[in-house]
Amino acid sequence: MLESTPLVQSTPLVQPAKLGRVAAYEWSHRSAQVFIAAALVFTGVAVFVGDTFFLRLATEALIYAGLAMSVDLLLGVTGMLSLGQALFFGLGSYASTLVLKHVTPSFWVAMAVALAVGTVAGAIGAVLSIRARGVYFALITFGMAQVVSKVVYNTRSIGGSDGIIGIPVIKVNLLLFEVDTASPAGFFLLVLALVMLLYFGLAYLLRTPAGRVLVAVRTNEARVPFLGYQIRNARFLAFVVAADLAAFAGALYPMLRGFVSPELMYFNVSGDAVVTVVIGGLGTLIGPIYGSVVITALKSIIGTYTDHYPIVIGALFMLAVIAFPNGLMGAVDTLRARRKGGSP
Amino acid sequence: MKTRLSTVSLALAGVLSAASAIAAEPIKIGVVTPLTQTYAPIGQQVRWGLELATKEVNAAGGILGRKVELIFEDEEANPAVATQKAEKLFQVTKVDFLTGTVNSGSTLAVGQVAERNDRLIATTVSFSDAITGDKCSPNVFRVNARAGQQSAALAEWLNKEKPGASVFFLGPDYEMGRNTVAAFKAAVESRGMKTVGEIFAPLGNKDYSPFFGQMRAARPTVLYTSVAGNDTARFFTQLEEYGLRKNLLIVGASGTVTSQNMGALGAVAEGYVTGVGYSPEIDLPANKKFVTSFQAMAGAAPDLYGADSYGLIYFYKAAVEKAKSTDTAKVRTAMRGLKWMTPQGEKEMRAGDHQAIQDMYAVRVEGGKFRIVSKVAGTLAVGPDSCTRF
Repeated sequence: MLESTPLVQSTPLVQPAKLGRVAAYEWSHRSAQVFIAAALVFTGVAVFVGDTFFLRLATEALIYAGLAMSVDLLLGVTGMLSLGQALFFGLGSYASTLVLKHVTPSFWVAMAVALAVGTVAGAIGAVLSIRARGVYFALITFGMAQVVSKVVYNTRSIGGSDGIIGIPVIKVNLLLFEVDTASPAGFFLLVLALVMLLYFGLAYLLRTPAGRVLVAVRTNEARVPFLGYQIRNARFLAFVVAADLAAFAGALYPMLRGFVSPELMYFNVSGDAVVTVVIGGLGTLIGPIYGSVVITALKSIIGTYTDHYPIVIGALFMLAVIAFPNGLMGAVDTLRARRKGGSP
Repeated sequence: MKTRLSTVSLALAGVLSAASAIAAEPIKIGVVTPLTQTYAPIGQQVRWGLELATKEVNAAGGILGRKVELIFEDEEANPAVATQKAEKLFQVTKVDFLTGTVNSGSTLAVGQVAERNDRLIATTVSFSDAITGDKCSPNVFRVNARAGQQSAALAEWLNKEKPGASVFFLGPDYEMGRNTVAAFKAAVESRGMKTVGEIFAPLGNKDYSPFFGQMRAARPTVLYTSVAGNDTARFFTQLEEYGLRKNLLIVGASGTVTSQNMGALGAVAEGYVTGVGYSPEIDLPANKKFVTSFQAMAGAAPDLYGADSYGLIYFYKAAVEKAKSTDTAKVRTAMRGLKWMTPQGEKEMRAGDHQAIQDMYAVRVEGGKFRIVSKVAGTLAVGPDSCTRF
């Protein structure tokens, strides 16, 4: 699973394969552009037919895509399997909720506080977990999320098991104009812009020296210290940035749905994020975004037709992993290479 | 003239058939309830109850001449899933009404979705007091008894049985455990009984004997507990072993002794009393008929979730018929103060907080089964209206 990473596979630190890597980035950016174009067409059609449900569902898919991207940064790029990423997603959503409801209905303050909470919690989580490897790391992240979700579940002052409702609809001040979070198309476009910014930001990070060390930690950990880099620093950086990403995505959730509850930190959210990354394509960053759209759509559509939808989704997941071991992006990559008449 | 008349009659016929086509359009009720995972058995009871009532209503001509159609979606007992499904039902399927939510967080969150979509919902299962208390919503109704009604019914019965009793409390040490104890404590103290001690034991506690010294010294006549599952089995067995059950009446929360752990408890559960909103034993003709039809359709006995969900369809029917419309504002007005018949007898929807008032029962374990020992009038158990939003 960890080897199947089309985008960052060509170990540039040790091989002069730079050309291929740059090409892969450009191609990946093209997938991002295709995604943005498709999203804009979708918005146009949805507004034209007067839809609200599918726009809001798509917004939710993008929010979960942000979470999945954070899992991809850990798993696909740095090689750390987190089974508790929902912890930071949930913390971000609670932070944003408490700010919006009790402090000030300001989008930017809520996002800033969520990021601060994500950074602090991410640093604490990193200290606790990054020294462990493989399955031990996975279990520690899983355990941290379980513990915090139980604490939230039992804390009456933040709603306990009932969660918090009544999060106000807010106006997002973008200097030139305002976006109302209750406007399905407006908020969708805002979230789209933010998630794509996160994507390009991450893609940029991976091209910086610090980002390349992250990739190196996954591809050849033993070699990294010889090059003068500290593995622990790299893992710490990856963990904190991933926590921030998840908290950022989480902070958007209550603006869309108007509530938070401890379930947002539960394992099914973390687990779904990992599945999303695997389906979309590990280590591609754009794959999780496509994956999230596919999974959110499947769940919503199949669930309407049969009560046995977990079986259908499980079977599809297995098929996808067997048929496209490199995820959606990997499959597209192979097709593209074949059409070009050469191997990728 | 003749042609004109026929044109008119043709036009009239057109109008009439259009009108009857509108009338024939079914009333859609969305049901977001757990169909998979841990809470699926509760969702199953909800489904059976709703389906049985819908079948009966449709066989008798529907509501305002329109058939009722149920559309199910899986809640997964998760508010994040429930809100998404509710939005779909409101905006895409365009349901007239929505019910089924089990998780109290789901009911609250879906209630907010209903408010933003100008529709009504009702829960038949969620028991968190907040739903019709400090987080009440003009768009949310509850036809089942809330947590406070169960403890009030038990306290009311206890006051008649043992006036001035000294009560000792032992609850599990987490939010729900502490809440149930606090609620019951308030209920008994307001009725003139005394608290003689209070202990919170960890969840999954193995040995209760360290608490027994304090309990014995307090000389209680009544023990209230809200432990659950296997904790109940250990606690009750150890009480028996230490000879503390003599001259001690044990009462508790409805989740402490259930059909699931009754077998494991055996004789030590004998005499345990709790407060409930429904029992298949209720001696009313409507309930007898309901239990028989339910058993015939589902092949299983109804529990409170099945009974309350069955009653909901008749609640909605009565409200729509009173409002002569499915319009949200009109149906809301009709629902407020509405009295309707259910297997549990007549229920009344309190206008001030949208909480149903219903007769409650004190039930005692006798011979490994719950038997009704007393009925508590609905008005005594319902508690004050604490909703301030409408």
